[in-house]
Amino acid sequence: MVSNTIQFLFSNKIYKIKNPDPNKTILNYIRNDLKLTGTKEGCAEGGCGACTIVLGELNKSTIIYKTINACISFLPTLNGKQLILIEDLVHENKPHMVQEAMVKFHGSQCGFCTPGFTMSLFSMKKNYKLINKEIIEEALSGNLCRCTGYRPIIDAAKSLNNKKDKDHFKKNQKRTIQLLKKIKDVDIEIEHQGRKFFAPKTIPNLKKILKKYPNAKILSGGTDLSLEVTKFRKNIKTIVSLNSINKLNFIKKNKNLIEIGATTSLFDFQNLIKKYFRDFYDVLKRYGSLQIRNVGTIAGNIATASPIGDTLPLLLSLDAKIVIQGINKKKVYSLNQFFISYRKTKLKKGEFINSIKIPLNKENIFKAYKISKRFDDDISSVCGSFSFLIKKNKIIKASVAYGGMSEIPKRAAMIEKNLINSEFSENTFNKAINFMDKDFSPLDDMRASRNYRLTVAKNLLFKAFYEIKDKKNIRIHS
Amino acid sequence: MRNEELLKGQSIPHDSANKHVTGLAQYTDDISEPLNTLHGAIGWSKKAHAIIKKIDLKDVKESEGVISVVSYKDIPGRNDVGPVFDGDPIFPKTKVEYFGQPLFAVAATSTELARKAVLKAKVIYQELEPIVTIEDALKKNNLLFEPRIIKKGDPQNKIIKSKNKLKGKFNTGSQEHFYLEGQVCLVIPQEDNNLTVYSSTQHPSETQQIIAKMLKQKSNSITVMVRRIGGGFGGKETNFMTAAICALLSHKISRPIKLRLDRDDDIIITGKRHDFYSEYEVGFNDDGKIEGLKMKLASRCGMSPDLSYAINERALLHLDNAYYLSDLEVKNYLCKTNTSSSTAFRGFGGNQGMMAIENVIDNIARFLKKDPSEVRKNNFYGLNEKNTTHYGMKINDNVIHDIFKNLLDKSNYKKRYQKIRNFNLKNNFKKKGIALTPVKFGISFTTIHLNQAGALVHVYTDGSVYLNHGGIEMGQGTHTKIAQLVANTFGLPFEKVKISSTNTSKVPNTSASAASSTTDLNGAATLNAAGKIKKNLNDFIRDKYKIYSNTEPIYKNQYIFFGNRSFKFKKIIEEAYLNRVSLSSSGFYSTPKINFDKKKFHGRPFYYFCYGAAVTEVTIDTLTGENAIERVDIIHDAGNAINPALELGQIEGGFVQGQGWLTMEEVVWNKSGKLKTFSPSTYKIPAVSDTPKKFNVEIFKKGSNVENVVNKQKTTGEPPLMLAMSVFFAIKDAIASLSNYKKIPNLDAPATPEKILMSINELKSKI
Repeated sequence: MVSNTIQFLFSNKIYKIKNPDPNKTILNYIRNDLKLTGTKEGCAEGGCGACTIVLGELNKSTIIYKTINACISFLPTLNGKQLILIEDLVHENKPHMVQEAMVKFHGSQCGFCTPGFTMSLFSMKKNYKLINKEIIEEALSGNLCRCTGYRPIIDAAKSLNNKKDKDHFKKNQKRTIQLLKKIKDVDIEIEHQGRKFFAPKTIPNLKKILKKYPNAKILSGGTDLSLEVTKFRKNIKTIVSLNSINKLNFIKKNKNLIEIGATTSLFDFQNLIKKYFRDFYDVLKRYGSLQIRNVGTIAGNIATASPIGDTLPLLLSLDAKIVIQGINKKKVYSLNQFFISYRKTKLKKGEFINSIKIPLNKENIFKAYKISKRFDDDISSVCGSFSFLIKKNKIIKASVAYGGMSEIPKRAAMIEKNLINSEFSENTFNKAINFMDKDFSPLDDMRASRNYRLTVAKNLLFKAFYEIKDKKNIRIHS
Repeated sequence: MRNEELLKGQSIPHDSANKHVTGLAQYTDDISEPLNTLHGAIGWSKKAHAIIKKIDLKDVKESEGVISVVSYKDIPGRNDVGPVFDGDPIFPKTKVEYFGQPLFAVAATSTELARKAVLKAKVIYQELEPIVTIEDALKKNNLLFEPRIIKKGDPQNKIIKSKNKLKGKFNTGSQEHFYLEGQVCLVIPQEDNNLTVYSSTQHPSETQQIIAKMLKQKSNSITVMVRRIGGGFGGKETNFMTAAICALLSHKISRPIKLRLDRDDDIIITGKRHDFYSEYEVGFNDDGKIEGLKMKLASRCGMSPDLSYAINERALLHLDNAYYLSDLEVKNYLCKTNTSSSTAFRGFGGNQGMMAIENVIDNIARFLKKDPSEVRKNNFYGLNEKNTTHYGMKINDNVIHDIFKNLLDKSNYKKRYQKIRNFNLKNNFKKKGIALTPVKFGISFTTIHLNQAGALVHVYTDGSVYLNHGGIEMGQGTHTKIAQLVANTFGLPFEKVKISSTNTSKVPNTSASAASSTTDLNGAATLNAAGKIKKNLNDFIRDKYKIYSNTEPIYKNQYIFFGNRSFKFKKIIEEAYLNRVSLSSSGFYSTPKINFDKKKFHGRPFYYFCYGAAVTEVTIDTLTGENAIERVDIIHDAGNAINPALELGQIEGGFVQGQGWLTMEEVVWNKSGKLKTFSPSTYKIPAVSDTPKKFNVEIFKKGSNVENVVNKQKTTGEPPLMLAMSVFFAIKDAIASLSNYKKIPNLDAPATPEKILMSINELKSKI
């Protein structure tokens, strides 16, 4: 079954919109159509959090609450979800406990960022009973405040720890689930003034659409794609969303391998990878903000092929493989062969990413570091990722990859060659780093100079060496 | 009694806190638009310096949804938004002087269509060579004004005679305001060509005047209203471009227009903080006491004067920070560059001047291998001697010695100083640093006539109070604090007092909400108005109830007490009304005692000084240049605070904003003058995890104000930003450890990971 009408739950009612504009953002819908002005636009690129809203998603018999940036989310992606805005938090004229906490701790000054912070706190409170510093920093990492210096907001967040959640969302949960279940899970095909949006439910349907519209833009999270509209003022003619396909949202694990489906959110991926590669988790936690990681996907990150996409050098050094589906057949590439040139990959028209495979080489030692001007939610100037197999003080395998050092995320072939089969010693590393400027010729830009990039890239390799040698981490942020 | 506890000196929440957290607080963009409202967008220059050969707007006009286009030809009056000097054309006729300079604007049926339309302009430029950096402007002598020289004593001779001498160079960077609410304006035309203007401005009166002059209309035909703004920090003090263009669009087609700048446009079009470059030559004794100082101080002012003269002047007035300088000469260069016009930003040049002297003192300490906090203390202004500034003002409210001593104890500085040195001996890649820096900041507009304010207070017959004043609520809580003062003076609960939008038709000829003076000035004007109403009431009561004692009545707990007779406020108001007593009054205030001769650089430009000090401990990673702020201890003087919770918010927020300025916020222009950092993805302000891990902030317990300021408070607007200087010098201290404290590191602000690593590498190469 196919529908041209999106449906979502808002204020305990099912809203239906026939053929909505696929290029309209949820934020513009809220402010211009619903005429609700509590949700603010701060940057229109998902970088400040003033537009933070919460989506309730049905997960079996419970609801998961996720913060997203309404400014970079297209309206059709609301389909099947519960939309929760700052105005919904007040119940029977009584503010929500998170709102009361913000007032009590003087968490607002100019107040413009406050609705966004409040929504992030609301979602945090719904998802965690016990709240600690790490949870707070993750929940608020995508909300900027220029007035308070954050201390009062952190205190408001801390005050929510272990407080009983008896809010109206909880009381209403059964009814909410019933209503969400009423929304039929069908393929969506929208046409609005020549602009099309497809959200197929199955891979065969996806293939049919891609065959018919090979130039369609694929949306897998859409945190990058939407900037075409909000920043570059373009119309996107045809969008095909992968997020509606359950078969692309999976995680498979065995002894030697983990395979992650294309539409797995970065947030889910981060929590999966924590067990296997702690440094991967630490870098991912600094990837964008929680709002971004809630919708952004691992496949989206790979497909955009950004030279500074933070998961890419890490996956490269882990020898990850990428599974591509064409109209007819599946292909598997080593990620190392996948990137061609600046933002260009081997992905052809009509093809899409099915999944990523990460081998689990338990004997290997994995290290990853991200350098940026700001610790959280910043794009790296250099990201270094290393995987070594060392036996009897000899380097058997070395996978050295960097982001921010070239037009694509790239392995350091010459350095690797110089490390492999050498003694694991300072001397070896000292020699190897001399090949940094053979492997890479980084640019000067607003994030860092060429000189700094080369210097810090060398130092990161040394850092890995010292950390492995001394068997302890040398990090100033812990 | 209860009221005083509740009100005066009490930490009630911001008056809009409940509205902030529920999304009900209205900002300009949230005001319901009339049905026929159109939406604007600005088309701007893609070149930093060029002759405009041709602007072809055909495709713009034909673009979907476009109703009207305006250019310089549509301006009937003054084509300039410069607040003091000319130089900021709304739309230039022949020449563009920065990347981002507005060229034309459109009104369309939606914001999206307007923004799409402006991209379709075809502009032919004849490019000229741009001057982008201070260095380049100095080399080409491209200055806005003649260099300004201030001199006291004979520094040259003193330096020659000094036992120790140092020379050096130092830079501090620019900073983007990044108020969360961007520039926005809604103009609604009224009869007789009148305009009602809702603008996100810190300066409604100047907005009114600039629009009036642009349209060749009288000021009485323009009304500007501001309920609140989503942060200002100086970025909405001038920057009148948005309001002017919005008004022009509305004027041309007589329709309501909303013009809300997209974040990128906002950052590209509007001015930022001045970067400063300094060269110094200093002579000092073995205690590190400065005997003579010569300095060259140059700033990047952008393409026009805007407020640069006053900002540089404040830098000159704060070159002393808390230190006595007996012999001083400064040459100040205001560099004209092809960048957006640098403008007001919290600190207003003061902080840049203070960083210049702090760098000198820090280097003196490192040269002498002394604890920098000791050298700082040795240079402090004295209480009874050495207490006249380099501009001839005698300091009579110095509390820095007291704050310094308290902070040393509170922060356990000496012990930690030693502990950190031990830590650094044992650790190869992680190094710690610590620094204590003082703040002394002068309060008042240095342009004397701006130190005035007006207010309007009504008491209605039900005993509720309505209040207007000239100040803008931008998060600092001025409305809350002034309402607290009014509630207190009438003996009423806070809820009985209503503060409404700032409105040029209610309080005229106001000064900008700036120079940290908003509550001082407007609070005093408001109390003046309230006092007049109270006098009317008192006279009425005395007359009617035959009270002959002259003692002042006491307003408390919703009663008025004349000795042992009491009158319920609400009831007596009703009675006063029936007896035809005026229950409404305007109020006025002008700051006493201040004067300043700009030519002689002499006088008393400040009514009083604010003081504070901070100790910061950092860790740096010597392999990457990253830094982490481990602990911050602050004691800051807020006088007798009206609302300690709000003051605390200003102190902490100011500190973190300063921390951003000095560590991570980097404004980058490329060689051709194109701004490369214009969005949150490329320009980074501190985020939640950048808040110091331990953050101990205390309001100076003995705080008061020797001058007659409302409540004896001291403002906390700008001064706390400078407490963050301690972060920068702690980082420098950590770097110095790599030479075992034998060499002086070269470090410029902002101390990004790159600057820190490069400083480390340079230092290592000297060992």
